[in-house]
Amino acid sequence: MVGALRQLRGDAESYRGIWSWLTTVDHKRIGVMYGVSAFAFFLMGGVEALLLRMQLSSANSTVLDPDQYNRIFTMHGTTMIFLVVMPLSAAFFNLLIPLMIGARDVAFPRLNAFSFWVFLGGGLFMNASFFTGGNILQGELGAPDAGWFGYAPLSLQSAGTGMDFWAFGLLILGVASMASGFNFIVTIFNMRAPGMTLLRMPVFVWMTLITSFLIIFAMPIITVALFQLLFDRLYGANFFNFAAGGQPLLWQHMFWLFGHPEVYILILPAMGIVSEVLPTFSRKPLFGYQFVVLSGLAIAFMSWGVWAHHMLTTGLGPIANSAFAVSTILIAVPTGVKIFNWMGTLWGGSISLKTPMFFAVGFISMFVIGGLTGVMHSIVPSDYQQQDTYFVVAHLHQVLLGGAMFGLFAGIYYWFPKFTGRLLHEGWGQVHFWLMFIGFNVTFQPMMILGFLGMPRRIYSYSEGTGWDFWNMVATAGAFLIGLSILVFIFNVVLSLRRKEKAGPDPWDGRTLEWAIPSPPPAYNFAEIPTVRARDAFWHSKYVEDETGRPVPIVGGGAQETEEEEQAEGGGHGIHMPSPSFFPLIAATGLPIIATGLIYDAAIVAVGVAVLVVGIYGWALEPASE
Amino acid sequence: MGGKSVQVRRLVAATLLVALSALLVGCGAVDDPQNTFAAEGDVARKQRDLLLIWVLGPAAVILVVMQALLIYALIRFRRKKGRELPRQVHGNNRLEVAWTIAPAILLLIITVPTVVGIIELGRDASDDALKVNVTAQQFSWVFQYPDLVDAEGKPLLALNELHIPVDREIGVTLDSVDVIHSFWVPKLAGKLDAVPGRTNSMWFNATKVGTYSGQCAEFCGVSPEGAEGHWTMRLTVVAESEEDFEAWVADQLEGGGAARSRSGEPALASHGE
Repeated sequence: MVGALRQLRGDAESYRGIWSWLTTVDHKRIGVMYGVSAFAFFLMGGVEALLLRMQLSSANSTVLDPDQYNRIFTMHGTTMIFLVVMPLSAAFFNLLIPLMIGARDVAFPRLNAFSFWVFLGGGLFMNASFFTGGNILQGELGAPDAGWFGYAPLSLQSAGTGMDFWAFGLLILGVASMASGFNFIVTIFNMRAPGMTLLRMPVFVWMTLITSFLIIFAMPIITVALFQLLFDRLYGANFFNFAAGGQPLLWQHMFWLFGHPEVYILILPAMGIVSEVLPTFSRKPLFGYQFVVLSGLAIAFMSWGVWAHHMLTTGLGPIANSAFAVSTILIAVPTGVKIFNWMGTLWGGSISLKTPMFFAVGFISMFVIGGLTGVMHSIVPSDYQQQDTYFVVAHLHQVLLGGAMFGLFAGIYYWFPKFTGRLLHEGWGQVHFWLMFIGFNVTFQPMMILGFLGMPRRIYSYSEGTGWDFWNMVATAGAFLIGLSILVFIFNVVLSLRRKEKAGPDPWDGRTLEWAIPSPPPAYNFAEIPTVRARDAFWHSKYVEDETGRPVPIVGGGAQETEEEEQAEGGGHGIHMPSPSFFPLIAATGLPIIATGLIYDAAIVAVGVAVLVVGIYGWALEPASE
Repeated sequence: MGGKSVQVRRLVAATLLVALSALLVGCGAVDDPQNTFAAEGDVARKQRDLLLIWVLGPAAVILVVMQALLIYALIRFRRKKGRELPRQVHGNNRLEVAWTIAPAILLLIITVPTVVGIIELGRDASDDALKVNVTAQQFSWVFQYPDLVDAEGKPLLALNELHIPVDREIGVTLDSVDVIHSFWVPKLAGKLDAVPGRTNSMWFNATKVGTYSGQCAEFCGVSPEGAEGHWTMRLTVVAESEEDFEAWVADQLEGGGAARSRSGEPALASHGE
């Protein structure tokens, strides 16, 4: 067996084209695949959002039927959270962490590939549920229909297999997140270049570390809850089924004990990106580095103590509601500290307003609104009015679209040249930003008014005379502006990839180590592992500070230009790199097959287990390249 | 000349007034049936005022100041040709302490009215409150008045339309027979969930005679044919004078007491197991 594997290994060295992607363990390629897949899911989630907005644009509309509406809003929420913002963040972890800490790859390259394939399989599996409702061409959708939050007992009552696909899909995605969470924790703790102490790490690395810890503690909670839900649905257990003595509220406690740290899993990476973009484009170090890091840690700890603010109207009583009101109010403090430090970074800087900076500033601007509306929810008595209204829809999109997605777009514009060797076109980038920024505000600020006017969430339709028509029409128009901005972005990417002029290793006068190496980086990243002597290590190789604290350029400092042996896969330096492998992909394929079997037929489970076992054994026994 | 300027001033004032009222009417500020700001009950009023007095003002100020500072910084510190690189300032501990402590104090201040409000609204209904047991079901509301009984001792039932006397406290218990729903009449009181297997309670009142619109606020699905669902699960509260309410009660009790939908079918098709 080992001989056969060795044979395979020999072949593996020469994979080209698509095969080189299927077998890759290179963190940069995995990062690109994460990004491209997440963006494809983003387009799906976006089309779903536009369908919802069309249905709600006027009173008594029938663009969708109620059943389709429920399935589409469930998939919109699930997709945007688990298949877009999380994997887009994972794309940045993959692309950047080894480069920023001066390493040649992550600690477990094959596990990293496994994470990606499991994520992709889980996402496709979840979306495959659309086809299980009958003839999809006639609008018979089969997707989950009990909301992205899956409240029992509605999620138990839900007919068809949609909610089973949802629960198994989230379980599969949880495996991907856990594996990558552990991988990045180990990578960050163990693979840092000499001299890269914890307090010299870029803030993005810190936020990745914190997010990874949140992931490995939060995911097990929803895993347990999902297993309980599936046992109730498939095998008649009684965890949440009140008719047989189960506790519907137990689901909510478990879900939100996962769900609120999850909010910070979504936002902390974007905060990390913004903390990198602002200093570069202000030509100043991040203001209050330690405080930005510490506030990130504080947010992460406090995120475990606020879950019941999603449940303030479930009747927990005045004592519990008061406690969660106070904890929720207090989490605004470290969040505010971050915002103030970003302002401090801009202050006195030399600000260059390029597209990444537009998105980063847009993030701050929108996140301020998200934070303030968050405080409004913690005023519990008035939250009794706001809960489950469009005011909450507005708030959460301020945080996750105006916040997380704007931050992620800042990152895309910022690091695109590093990984493609080409800058994104500046003019089209700004068109993208302004369309998206205006579209965002036109879509979501009216939703605050709708919430105050008493429009509940998740209603399929409303009648005339409610006073909601006008603002809904405005919101729908705004949503199409956002859609248009995304088309501009796609156009920009296609255009920019065809551009002739190269970006060079350091197009923005960057501060962190990734800008020290060629764009795109060679497979081995660093020909020579750098020695770090200060925070913003690369900046300090370019500038020294005079006695007044002003930077003076060092003659001959800066990035390596492209190397002669760029294409030599490390051979030129004799650098040992991990070998490509099929087995992470094979092992990952087993999971959706097992889930399909558990929904439809136990015989399929056996096939899935066989695939998984072959994948894991092959992986374990695969000989290392010499 | 003096007379003319007074005229101009009056004209401006009148125009502003008209514009303002047009804006208010345009937003339908008062007429919208579920406007949470147009409170007509003590609970909704308390909930609105807490927001308006303690949060909305400071939040608006912070919002404007932060956005203005952001725009100011972007203009003031914009990169210019020939300007030397900025000083590499790494931070300022005093500032850090200030912008940690100041917001913390501000936030701790608003916890006081918040907690007071939670406890005030979270109290049990008073003993002389009119009791109503609300049972939510997909996709309607059944109201039972346990203290208003007919000749056979059966309590008065009503479907989707809750009659209450104005200015009297209503003590509500909430239950559900299927999935989670949420009882919400925006002009009278914020929402409370109806969770199957659990009894939640709240109180509210209406301080003005009128008809108040409400609807289920927790997603509760759709009927198999798609005709009904979460969005159709509406209710109406009719607040009337004590005499009108008593007349309505007498009329209902004579009619047999059992809640009947318009088609004559019994309202509670499947209660409990």
